[in-house]
Parts: sequence; C-alpha cells; structure tokens
Amino acid sequence: MNNLMKNSPPQVELALVRHCALVTCGQQVRCGETLATSNSPERGDIHAPFPGKVLHVDSYRIRLSREKGETVPLASLDGLSGPEIRSRLAELGADLAPAGEVDALIINAVDAEPSVCSRKQLLADHAETLRAGIKALVRAYCPGSVVLALRQDSPNTLDELEISYVGGHYPAGLDPMVAKAVTGVEASPYAVVVGLETVHHTGMIVETGLPVSRTMVTLGDTGRLVSLGTPVGALVEEQGETVRDGDRIVLGGVLQGMTAASPGQGVDRSTTAVTVVKNPAPVAEDTACVGCGECVRHCPARLDPAMITSYAEFGDYEKAAAEHVDVCFECGLCGYYCLAHRPMLQYIRLAKSELAKARSLEEVAS
Amino acid sequence: MKPLNPLALTVSVPPHQHCGTSIQGRMIAILLAMIPAAAMAVNTFGVDALRVMALCMGVAVLTEAACDRIMERASDVGNMHAFVVGLSFAFLLPPSAPWWLAAFGSAASIAIGKMIFGPLGGSPFCAPLVGWAICRVSWPSAMDLDATMLTMDLTYPLGQLKAFGLNAVQITNTKSLFFGHQLGGLGAVQIAGVLAGGLFLVVRKHVSSIIPVGFLAGVTVTAWLFHMFDPTTYPPAMFHLLTGSVMFGALFLATDGPSSPNRQIPMLLFGLMAGIMTIIIRVYGAYPDGVPFAILVANLFTPAFERIRPRPFGAR
Repeated sequence: MNNLMKNSPPQVELALVRHCALVTCGQQVRCGETLATSNSPERGDIHAPFPGKVLHVDSYRIRLSREKGETVPLASLDGLSGPEIRSRLAELGADLAPAGEVDALIINAVDAEPSVCSRKQLLADHAETLRAGIKALVRAYCPGSVVLALRQDSPNTLDELEISYVGGHYPAGLDPMVAKAVTGVEASPYAVVVGLETVHHTGMIVETGLPVSRTMVTLGDTGRLVSLGTPVGALVEEQGETVRDGDRIVLGGVLQGMTAASPGQGVDRSTTAVTVVKNPAPVAEDTACVGCGECVRHCPARLDPAMITSYAEFGDYEKAAAEHVDVCFECGLCGYYCLAHRPMLQYIRLAKSELAKARSLEEVAS
Repeated sequence: MKPLNPLALTVSVPPHQHCGTSIQGRMIAILLAMIPAAAMAVNTFGVDALRVMALCMGVAVLTEAACDRIMERASDVGNMHAFVVGLSFAFLLPPSAPWWLAAFGSAASIAIGKMIFGPLGGSPFCAPLVGWAICRVSWPSAMDLDATMLTMDLTYPLGQLKAFGLNAVQITNTKSLFFGHQLGGLGAVQIAGVLAGGLFLVVRKHVSSIIPVGFLAGVTVTAWLFHMFDPTTYPPAMFHLLTGSVMFGALFLATDGPSSPNRQIPMLLFGLMAGIMTIIIRVYGAYPDGVPFAILVANLFTPAFERIRPRPFGAR
C-alpha cells in the first residue's frame, strides 16, 4: 500500500509556466489527456498523469484528483522526422527547443549542482530508455554528431556515443559551459544541449506511446522516479523532514532551484531534486554594493554583476543592457559570494524582464 | 495522506545558500590579521602605541556614528569597518603622535575618506590614506618620524636615506628590519606581524593575492633597476621591501575593495603601478616613504584599469 501511494499520489498539482489551460473545473480527464498547451517554444504541453477529475484551474496551476478512468490512445512517431517529430514530442510533453542547423547534439549527463544526482541515477538505471530517447532526438535534430557530456568520475556511460568529459566543479555542468567545453565555441548557434532528464522523457514517450508522466527527482542522496505533479510537501515528509514556517522547499539544487509557494506545489519536468533549506536561511538584504569584487571574480560569464545590479537597483536598465546582462545564464554564484548579501539574481532578473518588456513595447509600436 | 498544514514558506530567487561570509566577518578577519603587528608595536614602542591605536579606533567609530546621525541614515557601525579604518590609520602614525593629530586624522579618514562618498563601497580612495595625507601635508613636523622620536634608540631608515644618502642608514640588517627594530608607522614597520596577518588573509581568501603580488613585484623590480644602475646611491630591493609601509600597504591598504579594481589583469596592473610609484616617490619625491601617496595615485587610476575587461561569455 505504502509503495503504491509513493508511486501514484491521490492528488497532483501541475504548475503552469506560460501554459494555456484547456480544461475546466470538475471536468473528467483520461490518463495522458492534454491539460494545457505551451506558449513558449522550448516547453512542452502538460498532461494528466492519471485519469481523474479536475479540482482547480487558475493561471498558475491545475489540480487533479485520481479516479478510475481510461487512457488516451497511444501516439505513434513512425514516419515523422525533423521539426515534425520535435513538435510532436513537445505535444507529448518533452521540453525540446526548436533549432535550425545542428552540428552537435550534446546530451548533458552532468549533475551541475553538488547536491543533485538525478542524472547519475538515470544513467545507472535507465540506459535503454535513454538510448530510445537519443534515437528520437537524432531524428528530430539531424545533428552532425552526438556527444555525451559526462563527469570524469561517472561510473556509467552509454558506450556507443562519443564521450566528452566535463569538470565536476560548479558551474562547469551548466548547459552553456558544457556546450563551450564540447564545441570550443561560446554560445554556438549550431550546438543544442539537451539535459539527460529530457532525453529520458523522450525515451519514455517513444517506449510507451504516452505523454510524459514521471520524472527522476533527487531525494536525499538517491534519485527516484516520481509522478509529475506529486506535491513536494509529501516528498519532503517521506524523507522524514518537517517543514516549519519560514523554511524553503527547493525544487532543484540550492544554487539554481526554484522555491515552492506551498507544500502542495507539484514536481514538474525540470525538477531535478526536492530539498528543504532550513532557517536560518540566508536572506538577501537591501544593502548597497561594497565593491569587494567577489562577484566579478566568480562570474563564469565574465560579467560585472556589481555594476549590473547597481544599475538595476536604480532602474537604469539600458546601462545594464550595455553591461551585457543578457549574457548571464543565472548560475547564482554572485549571490552566493556577495559579501553584502545583496539580492544579486533578483536584480539581474528584474533588469532582464524590464528590458524584455521595453523591447516588446517597441515591437508593438513599430 | 493527511492534509498538509498551511505553511508560510519562504519564496525567493536562488541561490538558497550563501558561502557564509559577511562584511562584518571580513572586517573582523582583517582586525584579527592586524593583531600580531599591533602586539609587536606595543612591544617595541610601549604604551604610546597602544594609546594611539585605541584613540584612532575610538574616534573613527564615533565619527562614523556622528556622520550617520547628521546624514539621517541607519548606522552601519556594527559592520566594524570603522575599526579597520581607525586601526589602519594608527598603523601609519608615529607612536609619539599627539592626541589631537591622531583624533583629527582618524576623524578625517572616516568623514572625508569614506562617509562623504556614501555608505561603505562608495569611496574611490583607501580611507585611512586620506586622513594620513591630510595630516602629512598639514602638520609635517608632527608627522615627521625622526624629529618626534628622538627619545628612542631606533632610527628611521627611510628618513636617513632621503636626507643623508645610503651610507647614513644605520639599520641595514635584514633580520632587525624584519622584526620591526626600526622607526616608521607604528604598526606598518612590524614587518613580521604584518606579513603573518597578510598571509592569513590571503590563505583564508579574504583578500586576493593578485594585488599584493603586483605591488611587491613592482617595488622589487623598480628598486632592483635603480640598485643595478648605481649600488652606492640606491639600496637593494630587500631594503625597500622591509622598510616603511610597503608590506602593510601591499597587504592591507592596496587590497581595500572599493578603491581597487575587481578583475585579475587590472588588479595586477594596479598593484604594479602602486609598487613602481612607491620607489619613484622614494627616489625622486619629497617624502621618505612613498607608499601612501603611491596607493592614492593608483586609486585614481582604478577606473581606467577597470576598462580593461574580457569579452562577456559568447558576446559578439
């Protein structure tokens, strides 16, 4: 009973990130039915992980409770190739960005953050699914070569692939750093990096003919497949942790992860870990930059986070753009090292979003 | 499954962890690193040195609190920076400094060197050097080491070098220079203590080693060139490294965060420039010890050095 409960929670909450909900409250849905379509090209649609009834819909989440019901007809990818198979996979829940000409398809099997081991677990336990996923990705992107990026000390590998070893020290495992390490070119437009969890999702689609319903999540020091939408609070409780007011439940690693708004928030496809960060958690303070230079020396993108965040602090977003804020890939190290505990990444994201807003207004005007 | 209690979770942008340093932590580390030199100063100069150091730190803290009050700002005295500025300023004074000189210089360091530029991080200059420069220019006789320290057996090697030439320098023994048996800034000449504290800061990564390395390399190479040119007029590089405030300047003053560049190559150039300027001022300038002015000049060049920057990741 306990095991059954672990693998299929009675109720799930699916987070919407620029998704458009297709269902309404009270609606009965089949297992695998599309609940929301994606509005961003790099994200896939969202599906019901089991048959049931829609309990709640708003712009940020859909809640679903399990009931007996049917499953959608199996999908087939036969005869499809190139952009067609990519968009078909995205409709089935694989987060695959569109790409033009692809020289190198890089499979990123490096767990970037030290506390995360979901990719290691996938490589150890699900090699066949991964192989099926890579085959489908090759059909989707038609790359010149396929490279598996691995940590030097990785015990498992996929033999048939070309291997490229990547340093294990954060942030060497982040997608842009891996692409640079493999191709030798920074931000190459001809390289596509796909995370191992997305390869696994693709493999599951190919093997089952059903949309993605499970993902590998690090819990403690092992990885486990959990149903999408499983409330993070339940996962935390299972690990024997008690959450108190003011704690954070982090989806992902501590340097890049997203905090859950409530214990009911569900695991999504990009969740690589669920961890609790206890108080006294480091809380960013509203302080001025003291000019110590730690962020500048630690920035892997060779930016000047001190200047960027100071510009953002005073609303001078154009100057932040001139400092190449768009290059930042949000590794989080500036905030980790900031002597004054400034909210570095908050300011960077503020600058990015304000610049994006200004750009879209310009586009509307012209 | 039982219903989850409603909880007020913290929701925040990453990172959710911090490396653990803070401004106060760093300032305490710097103060700890200054303790060996301070202890050696008390050992050499007696209670006079203790008096000057205590007075400078006290006045610095009070001045900062007063400035905060006048500027109607929440006080940051708790971050200990004022203690560091006060003690650094004291390290540059002769132990015989009169109370009014120590108090005025320390107050000027905080008020003009730091507070008028806003909170910590705004000042383009290393704060204690501003106070030192004001005092040195305004009351040269009170700041003159030889004249004020006639009661001591020790001599001021840089003063003798400037006034009477290399042959007049009485202390040339490397070992006695290293252990602070010389006159100069009361803490700055405690070379062994300063070096121990500086190494502690570098090993614990509170300061980067780039600026000290650049500074000492600049001093060594420039002094070596002069010495090669005329060994009878110019002392060897080791003499310059072990006298005056070279060690203290390289490890504690030039590494001041806001007034020095942040990237590796500009940091190296900044250190080199300060080191080279030190020897040029010592050889050609009017002041026996060029370090404070050399660092102030290098501070002025920080924005220029900062323009040397790498291409951002993938930017074309």
